[in-house]
Formats: sequence, C-alpha cells, structure tokens
Amino acid sequence: MTVQLKGRAEAITIQWIPKYTTLERAAHWLHTATFVPLAITGMILYFPFLQPLAQGPAGMTFRLIHRVAAVIFGLLPIVYFIFQPRRLILNIREFLPSKDDIGWLKGAPAYYLLGRHEAMPPQGRFNAGEKMNGLIMIVAWFVFGLTGVPMWFGKGVIPPEVFRWLVVFHDLAMIVSVCMFLVHLYLAVAHPLMWAGLVSMRFGVTSAEYAAEHHAKWYYGPKRAMEIWEAKKREAAQKGGH
Amino acid sequence: MARLAMLIDESQCTACRGCQVACKQWNDREGWLYSRTRNRGSYENPPDLSPQTWTRIKFTEYEGPDGFRWLFLKEGCMHCGDPACVAVCPTGALKQQPNGLVTFERELCNGCGYCTQFCPFHIPRLEVVNPLTGEAKSSKCVFCQDRVTNGLLPACVKTCPAKALDFGDRDEMIAKGQERVKALKARGYTQANLYGVDQLGGLGRLYVLIAPPEAYGLPANPQYPALANVWQKIIQPLGNVAFGATLLGILGAFLFVRRKIRMEEVR
Amino acid sequence: MTNHWVDLKNADYILIIGSNCAENHPASMTWIHKAQNERGAKLIVVDPRFTRSASQADIFAQIRPGTDIAFFGGMIKYILDNELYHKDYVVHYTNAATLVNPDYKGPDELDGLFSGYDPEKRRYDRSTWTYQTDQDGKPLRDETLQDPHCVFQIMKRHYARYDLDTVSGVTGIPKDLLEKIYKTYAESGQPGKAGTILYAMGQTQHTVGSQNVRALAIVQLLLGNIGIPGGGVNALRGESNVQGSTDMGVLAHILPGYLPVPTEADVDLKTYIENKTKPGGAWSGGYWTNGPKFITSLLRAWWGPYAVQRTDFAYQYLPKVDSPANYYWIALFEAMYAGKIKGLWIMGQNPAVGGPNARFEREALKKLEWLVVQEIFDTETTSFWRAPGEDPSQIQTEVFVLPAADAMEKAGSIVTSGRLIQWRDKVAEAPGEAKPDHQIINLIALKLKELYAADPGPFPQPILHLVWDYGKELDIEKVAREINGYAVKDVKDAQGNVLAKKDATLTTFAHLQADGSTACGAWIYTGYFSLQPDGFGNMLPAAKRRNSVYDPGGWGNYPYWGWAWPANRRIIYNRCSADPDGKPWSEDRKYIWWDEAQKKWMGYDVPDFVVTKAPTDPGGRDPFIMRTDGKGGLFAAMNEGPLPEHYEPVESPVKNVFSSQQINPVVKVWKTDEGKDIGDNYGSPDQFPIIATTYRLVEHWQAGGMSRWLDWLVEAQPEMFVEMSQELAAEKGIKSGDKVKVRSARGEIEAVAIVTARIKPLQVNGKTLHVVGMPWHWGWKGLTYDVGVTDMVQSTANFLTPHVGDGNTMIPEYKAFLVDVEKA
Repeated sequence: MTVQLKGRAEAITIQWIPKYTTLERAAHWLHTATFVPLAITGMILYFPFLQPLAQGPAGMTFRLIHRVAAVIFGLLPIVYFIFQPRRLILNIREFLPSKDDIGWLKGAPAYYLLGRHEAMPPQGRFNAGEKMNGLIMIVAWFVFGLTGVPMWFGKGVIPPEVFRWLVVFHDLAMIVSVCMFLVHLYLAVAHPLMWAGLVSMRFGVTSAEYAAEHHAKWYYGPKRAMEIWEAKKREAAQKGGH
Repeated sequence: MARLAMLIDESQCTACRGCQVACKQWNDREGWLYSRTRNRGSYENPPDLSPQTWTRIKFTEYEGPDGFRWLFLKEGCMHCGDPACVAVCPTGALKQQPNGLVTFERELCNGCGYCTQFCPFHIPRLEVVNPLTGEAKSSKCVFCQDRVTNGLLPACVKTCPAKALDFGDRDEMIAKGQERVKALKARGYTQANLYGVDQLGGLGRLYVLIAPPEAYGLPANPQYPALANVWQKIIQPLGNVAFGATLLGILGAFLFVRRKIRMEEVR
Repeated sequence: MTNHWVDLKNADYILIIGSNCAENHPASMTWIHKAQNERGAKLIVVDPRFTRSASQADIFAQIRPGTDIAFFGGMIKYILDNELYHKDYVVHYTNAATLVNPDYKGPDELDGLFSGYDPEKRRYDRSTWTYQTDQDGKPLRDETLQDPHCVFQIMKRHYARYDLDTVSGVTGIPKDLLEKIYKTYAESGQPGKAGTILYAMGQTQHTVGSQNVRALAIVQLLLGNIGIPGGGVNALRGESNVQGSTDMGVLAHILPGYLPVPTEADVDLKTYIENKTKPGGAWSGGYWTNGPKFITSLLRAWWGPYAVQRTDFAYQYLPKVDSPANYYWIALFEAMYAGKIKGLWIMGQNPAVGGPNARFEREALKKLEWLVVQEIFDTETTSFWRAPGEDPSQIQTEVFVLPAADAMEKAGSIVTSGRLIQWRDKVAEAPGEAKPDHQIINLIALKLKELYAADPGPFPQPILHLVWDYGKELDIEKVAREINGYAVKDVKDAQGNVLAKKDATLTTFAHLQADGSTACGAWIYTGYFSLQPDGFGNMLPAAKRRNSVYDPGGWGNYPYWGWAWPANRRIIYNRCSADPDGKPWSEDRKYIWWDEAQKKWMGYDVPDFVVTKAPTDPGGRDPFIMRTDGKGGLFAAMNEGPLPEHYEPVESPVKNVFSSQQINPVVKVWKTDEGKDIGDNYGSPDQFPIIATTYRLVEHWQAGGMSRWLDWLVEAQPEMFVEMSQELAAEKGIKSGDKVKVRSARGEIEAVAIVTARIKPLQVNGKTLHVVGMPWHWGWKGLTYDVGVTDMVQSTANFLTPHVGDGNTMIPEYKAFLVDVEKA
C-alpha cells in the first residue's frame, strides 16, 4: 500500500505481510486492558502515597475493579486456548529461549541506543526482548493466579503462614511484570525503530521490509538471514561505521 | 505520653465471662443469633474470636507440677509494641497510638484482610459482607478506644467482679504483675509467670499466668512475622527502586535515542 | 450471714463447702481475693467437683454428695481430740458447759437414733433433750467441762465414731488430705485468728440440710469464729433478695420478722403469746422476750385502727394453720397433684423447671382450675399446657399471665445475704403493660376489697379492714415506711419520757410497744427507712445511703452504706469479739470492747448487746441474745436431734456405716403414685449406680426463664450438659460433646457430655463410685429447643430429682440422688 508520511515529499509503498491473527490481537489488547487496571488498583495498596485512595468505600471499589479485571485476566489464556490451541502453543514455543537470544543480548545496546543495524544478528518471529516480555507475562499470569485466587477465597482456610508467602509472591510478580510492561510500552509506542510493532498488533500485519530487518530469520529463513547479516556487517565495516 | 496496658491476672480470673459479655454490650456485638454456638463438650463458647466476639475466655484443664489447675485465658488483641497489623495495613485504618493502643478506624478499612494474616497471634477477624466482591471490614479488640480516650476504663476491666483486670500506665501494670508473680510463687504456684513484657516490642496486654504460656495456647516466643518485614521493608523498597530505575532508564534511553536515530527509512 | 460480704476480706481461713461462690456470687471474689492477697488467707474448697471456686483454692477436696455431716463430724472430733478449740470462748459463750437431762441418749448408744423417737409418727419427743435446771429454771453448768452430762462430753462421745479412717471411707476424701484440711482450718481457733465458712444450697438442699448447717455452726462455735470479723456462719443466699423474702416471712411457717405463724392451738393473741413465752418456748428468754411487741405492732400495721386492745388487736383476722402442718413446696405440689388446690398464684417462679420431680410437678399444674403467673418472659410454667408432648385440649387449667416489670423497672429495697438493705431506684421503663409485682398485688388487693364490699360473705373483715392506703399507683415508699414502723401515738417509756412522737418513723425496734401505740411491718427492719445521717452531712432514709468512705476500724463495715438488720449491726453476736471481761481477744482483731470509764460497749460496729450491760453483770457473758440461755447452741434441738448425725441421702449407693438408720429418721418420704411412670419413685443402686448432683452456672439464672432468652448468655452456655469423669466416660464409651441420656427413677433427659478431669471417681469404703453433675437451668422455652438452639427437647435436670426434702425445712434434696448415664 501507498503511505504518505509526514515531512516527506513522496509517498512510500509498504508491502504488508500477516503476523498476528485476530484472536491473538484481541487477546493481547484484552490482556492489556485488564493488566493496566489490575496494576493500578493493586498499586493503590502498594504505594503509601496512594493510601487515601485505598481507604473506605473508594478502596473497596478499587478492590472490586481489581477482582473483576482479575477474572477476565485469568480466563483470557484459557479462552484463547479453547479457540486456537495450536496458535497459542506455537506462540509459547516461539517465546522459548534459543541461541539467537545470546546474540540479541550482545547486540541490543548498540542497536537500540545507537541505531547500529548491523550490530543485531537475525532474529526469529520474536526477538529475545519480546520473548522475555512474553515469558515474564506468562509466568506472571500463573503466579498472579496461584497467589491471587487463594488470597481472594482462602482467608481463614489456608494457614496465615502460607498466605503471607502468597502476598509476597503476588508483590514480586507485580514488580517484575510492571517493569517489563513499562519497557514494553516504551518500545512499542515511543521507540522509533519499533514502529511496525504497534501496527502489527493493531492490524495484524507487519511491513515486509520491517520483518526482513527485524525478524530476518522468520522472513527469510535461518540460512538466508545469516547470509544477509554477514553482508550487512561487511558493508558497515567498509563504511567505517555509522 | 505514657504507654497504657491491660494487666490480666489469670490467677484471679474465675471465667465468669462478664468481660466477654460487657465487651459485646459496649461494642454492640451479637451473641447466639450470630454464632449459633453448640456445646462441644466444654464451657468454652464461642469456639473462636469473630467479628462479633472481640474477647473470649479459653478453658484448659492442666495437670502440672503443683497439681491440677483449671486455666482460664482472656483472649484478644495484644496491642503489640511492634504491631505487624499496622505495618501491613494499606489504608491506615489500623494505627498505633502514642498511648500504645492499636486502634481501628472502621470507615477507613477496605477489607483487604492483610491484618488477619500477619498477626502473630491470629487475632483480627474479617467481617465479610460479600465474599465475591471482597466487601469486608476488619474487627478486633481496641481496648475500648472510645472509653479510654474519655478517661474511662475499658468495659471488660470495669465489669470484672473478681478484680482480675486492671488498666493503666504500662510500667505500673508490669510492676504490679511482677509482684503478683512473686506472691504466687510464694503461695506454691511454682510456674507463675508474667507474659508480654518484652515480646514484640512489649505487649499492651499483659498476663499473669499460673502455667507456662504454651499450656494456655499462647506462643512462648511470638515472632514478628519475618515475611511482613521482608514484604514491607525489603520487597516494597526494592520494587520502588526497580520502578524508578525502569522509568529513568526508559526516559534516558528515549532522550538518547531521539538524538541518534531518526525514523527509519521505509521502502 | 452472721457476718457480711465485705467482711470476707478479714478472714485468715476461708472454707467454701456446699457453695460455688465464684460461680454464683462472682462479686464475692473481690473480697476473698483481698483476704488471700492482703492477709495471706488460706482458701479451702470442698465440693463434689472442681469448680470455678476451686480454681482459686489453696486446698481442694472432692467430697461425695450428702456426706457433709461426716466431714464436719470428723473435723469436730479432730478439734476436740487435739484441743484446737478456743477454750475460753467455748466455756463462756457456748452451752458446752451446760448439763443435759441424764435420760438423754444419743446415736452412739441408740444405733443412729436419739432418745424419744416414735417410728410410727417419724417424730421425736424432745423431753429428754432438755437442760438440767435449778429451781429458778436456770440451766446448770460445769465450766470445767468434765461432767459426763455436760454438752462438751456428750459431743465427745457422739463424735468419737467420726475418726479419720471412717470419715475418709464415707466421704471419699483421702485420709491425708482430710487431715490437712482439718489441721489448716482449725488454726482459726487461735485467739486473734478468724475462719469463715461459706455455704449455700450444697449444704441446705439435702434431707439432712439443716443438720449440715448445724454441724458447721458447731465447728465455728468451737473455734470461736462467730461474732468476730472474718468469721461467721455465712449462708450465701441463692436468689437476689431471697434474704428479703425470708425476712418478710414469704415462707409457710413465719410472719415477717420471723414471728411464728399462728396454729389452731393459738386460739387468741394471749394464748399465742403464752405458748411462746412459757418456759421452754421460743420467746422464753433472750431478746425474743420482746416478741409480744413485735406481733402487736405487726397486727397494728396490717389492720390499723381495727387492731386495738379491745379487738385483741385483730388477731382473729390472721389465718391459722394446722399443727403439725406442712405447707412447704413439696407438700403444696403433692396437694395440687391430689386435686386439693383450685388455684395457684405464681410470682416470678418457674416450677416446671425448678421444682423437684419436675414431671410430677407439671402434672400437678394440670390439676389446677386456674393458674396466675406474674412473669417477665414466657417460660415452661406459663406455657406448661403447650409443652412439647402435651395436648392442650386435655388440660382444663385456665392460665393467666400477668406481664411483670423487671428489677431495673421498679424502685424498692433488696436485702443481700449479709442482711444489708439497699434501696434501688427505677432506671428503666417497663415495656407495654408490664407492671411491677407490687403494683399487680395492689390492683388485685383494691379489686378484692371492692368485691368483698359488694358481696361480703361470712367473714370479709380481714380484707375489708386491711390497711391499704398506698394509692392507685402504689407508693412504694409508703409501704417501706410501714414496714419500718411508725408511732401511732406518742411512744413513751416506763418513766413517761417520749421516745417517739406521733407519726414519727421509728428508728429502732427498741421503741416497739405491745399496747398498740406502734405499727411495724417487720420488726427486724425498724430503722431501715428512718432518716439517718449519711456521713456527708445529709439525712436520708437509711437504706438509701451510699457512703463508701467511712469505715471505722477498717473492717469493711461502712455503716453509712445502706442499713443492715438488726439495728444496722454488720456482724451479729459481736459480743463474742471480746473476752468474758470485755477485752478484745487480740489487739489486731479488736472489734467491740467494754469501756470501763464510760460504762458502755464501744467499737467499730453497733454492739449486739445491751450497750450498758457490763461483762460482770448478770448475762454479761451471754452473747447469743436471741437464744433463751444466751449461749451458743452446740447442743440444740431440731426435728432430727440436738446434734448432727450422718444419714445417707434418700437415694444412696452405699449403706450408712455409722448406724443402721439409713436415712434421716424424721424425713417424710412421699409415695404418691409410686410405681407409675409419673410419681414419687425412688431408685436402687442396682438400677441407678451413679451419684448425681445439680448446680448452677454463672451464665444462667435459676430456672432459666430470664437468661435463656438473652443471646449473649445463651451464646456462652447454649445447651444442657452433664459433667462426668474421664474414667466414667471411658467405661460408657462417651466422648466430650456426645449427646447422652441421663435417667433416674423419675424421668429421663438428654444432655451433652462434658468429660472432664475436674471430677474423679471416689473411693468409698472400698468401692469405686462415680459422680456426675448437671446444671438445672434448662427447659424447652426461650433460646433453646423452642427456636432450634438445641435439638434436645427434654433437658430439665429436675426431671431426675426426688420429691423429698429436709427434716425441718422440707427443702428438696436436689444435691444427691441416683442416676444412670448412657450414650444417646
């Protein structure tokens, strides 16, 4: 398709390729729509400066919102699994760590901070950063569920000594997942190199060029991707760096 | 301001339950219509503290070195010097007052129930209005905060016909308790002891006991729940650091990258 | 109580036996604790189970129910053998030295009986129990206590059989523990030391109840514990204001102030008086010689201007009873059962739960034509006709329920066990149409007068002439004044001096006259409603005073707090607190003493003695002023004898080892419908091998009519239970919390089992005996079976108790009978 970019004279052409199904995108956005209220309402109990919001009827309302969101948050992957089990499992497999991740970690500072495209080895459908985000969210989902459900229904049933651990782990999962979310949010929305990420999650398609650049292994296949990268590196070395 | 405390002399208590009922009368608590108690083979009823029962008498038959004893214990909030419930309360409904009372402002409570889980003595009870929505309020003895702040004694102390209860300056209560332990030992109560002097920053509820605390079901060495410390004093500050670092890192990265990378050329 | 509640703090030794005052008089623990904590007093508790009172004791012993006379007999022997009695006190203040009729023979010679027994009538002829007297009728005495006929020697012979081994075998108390208790308590016999005995229904509710109390009174006399601070024979009354009700004569045999009810033999006032003042009569000596003044003043109070010399003071208006007669509770219900009573008027009582052989008593209620119940709540008695299992269509009784006001909803006085009268204000409004009992009586009396005026019948005067000027809305203070007594005209002494002006409220019963110039509803109360100083500069009716500051001597008397009868004396017989010469027995127990300079008795209490009578005057050493000889009665005639002798309860698992007299020889054993399902049935140890006793709990009140409607109390004690030893429970396969059945010859109930270490099996003469105990508070009404608190429909302990009572008072034997227990 042809796109007129702001501040550019000519229109450019973007070739779109599919990346995410409708269900995947719906699940992602619903996840976001529940995760954010969960985090915010949870933080009201966490940050002392938010204490006035935690008190009395206001506090009870926020707790209620937390529970309603929690139910949806908890059911989401299950519903996803019911409708597209193979897609979900595929995604989970693609979140699992691989050798590419070491390369990503080594190249990330130069690529993301300095914009050196040749520093990043080819990545699969998800790069290490995206895998980290995915895995953290999956693990967090389990931790939130396994701690949150007993915290909701188990007072007086499970021993207080066990309950105290649940609270601690619920807190830890929150800290890790919210930090991860903040990074994810920045990269998805604000980082210039990642522009297609948001588009793909909104519309399900990513630009072919973008994919060729960021997810070369997925776009070209592993062997071809490596060849292109080697060429890029040689080119950069010749030019003496950017 | 001097710290106040209650001295419960279990050597003088005759388990008449006057305190149990006086507390309910003053604090508008319910009785059988709420708890539906049955006789379970003991004089002890209700079987546990609850939102409607803030103090109760526990009965224990004890065969000790001095012979048979019928032990009575008036259970209720210990008003710890180092109250874990206050530390974990997210609304500030539970407060430790300058006079040592751990008070409770019901309007502020949002029913989260953390106090019920972190108390080393398992005292606060959650009055659950709706288990699904979580609407609830915490509930515990507050040493009749409304009476004490108006110069009156707690209802239970006023009622006790055996004069087993006293309330006042904590140092005076401790001194009185220690004298009592001495007198009891002289009378042949070899296991007499004063409970609550040093535990958990010193308890606001002191007991003169005639048997070891474990015989009464009291923890001999109650500990401030380590996880409360870990949670409040380690994880939460670390979490704040993590959030701060993440936000700063993101901001820094954003400013840095804007200078270095322009929007990627797209073909 | 001869002493009073606060005085308990003055004791060095406290023996609680047949009482559980921590349970039933919780406030008493304040004073007992003071004695323990401030004086180092030793508390001894003797009870069939380890009670709340026992939790405070220094020494506890479990005793077989019904063996108190053996226990005290053993203590008496121990005191006599080891010479632990207070010698001077015993010699001078008791009848120990008095010589008894040489024809007297006791149970030691007559196999359990005293001389003069008629087995047909089950009664004693007391003529051999008299004192030897000189020609003036004065009793002969041997103050060396050697004469074989003196009371002291008779007692030694009588109690020689009560040695430690025998008593241990009978009571089930181990011998060394028994000796420890005797030795400890007997230390109170030393001059300057005081021991107090606290007792209640655990002593009185036996067929030998009166003798139980006699036995402990003997102990107290021997140890010199009567009339001194911290001592006394202290009955802890079982009901709020039961002391007041007995003072006001709400018993079949007495008029207010303990005046005897006239019998058919007392044909006129002169004869009534003569029958009492003649030698040997109740009014023949001591302060009771003033009896004629009391009865005359009472008659004047009741019939006002119709009670004058000319009309024999309206004496004929008083109903007379048969003699001998038994109008006590059990006899009343037996008469009801036999259909002899048309109507019953009950005020604040619940016989369907509180009466012995309660199934029998519920049947008796069905025979009435009408029943009126003044009550605060709906109870098993108001609703006896619709109890579970009853068919109302078969019951012909017309039942009227008059809603009554509660104690806080009316003003009036009440009297504590310590004879202290305190006025109470009304502090709440009664709900709906509920009225105070006195107002209900007022309305009925006014209506009766109206009806009698309209239709007089043969003898309307007792009603028509009755003084009843208290107003449409009864003025309780007017009644109080009448009870206190007032001068009808100027009261003058023998010299013509005016003691009290016309219409004055009398200040002392010393001003009462036998000539109709005074009116008094209860002579012992005279002064209680007169204006007296309260120590703060005010004059108030004495019973309204509340001075808790002024305490002369620090004995806890607080003479400006309320008013104690008689004459605001806090400890009666207090002449005993000084030696025969009028000096205190010891300086630190100084209470009353003779002041030689002022020629009067001084001290920290109102002397219970003629204030100006010197110790050297005739009668100066006779402190027991209500007795004809002025001496404490170690030997004192009652229906079953002049000295307590052990007999077994009517239902007992063992034979009496002291004699072949198994039970009290004068007790009436009722046999109505014996053998039927509901009747006067008695069980044998083969059928019912377990000893049962009944008692109360702090959480509930009497027959439960009030407390079983209050949900804070029901929460604390929701259901009927039976307490048993771990050994018995193991034998029967019962665990704590199991529902069990308890059966006796009279009925069967359900209860929850409480298996406890506080009851142990007793070793009685080689046999192992089990004891179980039950509270008697439960019925089916209120927050119990009626609304589903429990599923046990019949849980009234009194279904099990026998319809038999004490030889003197007829009080039922609730405390010792036989049952069996099994898992339900």
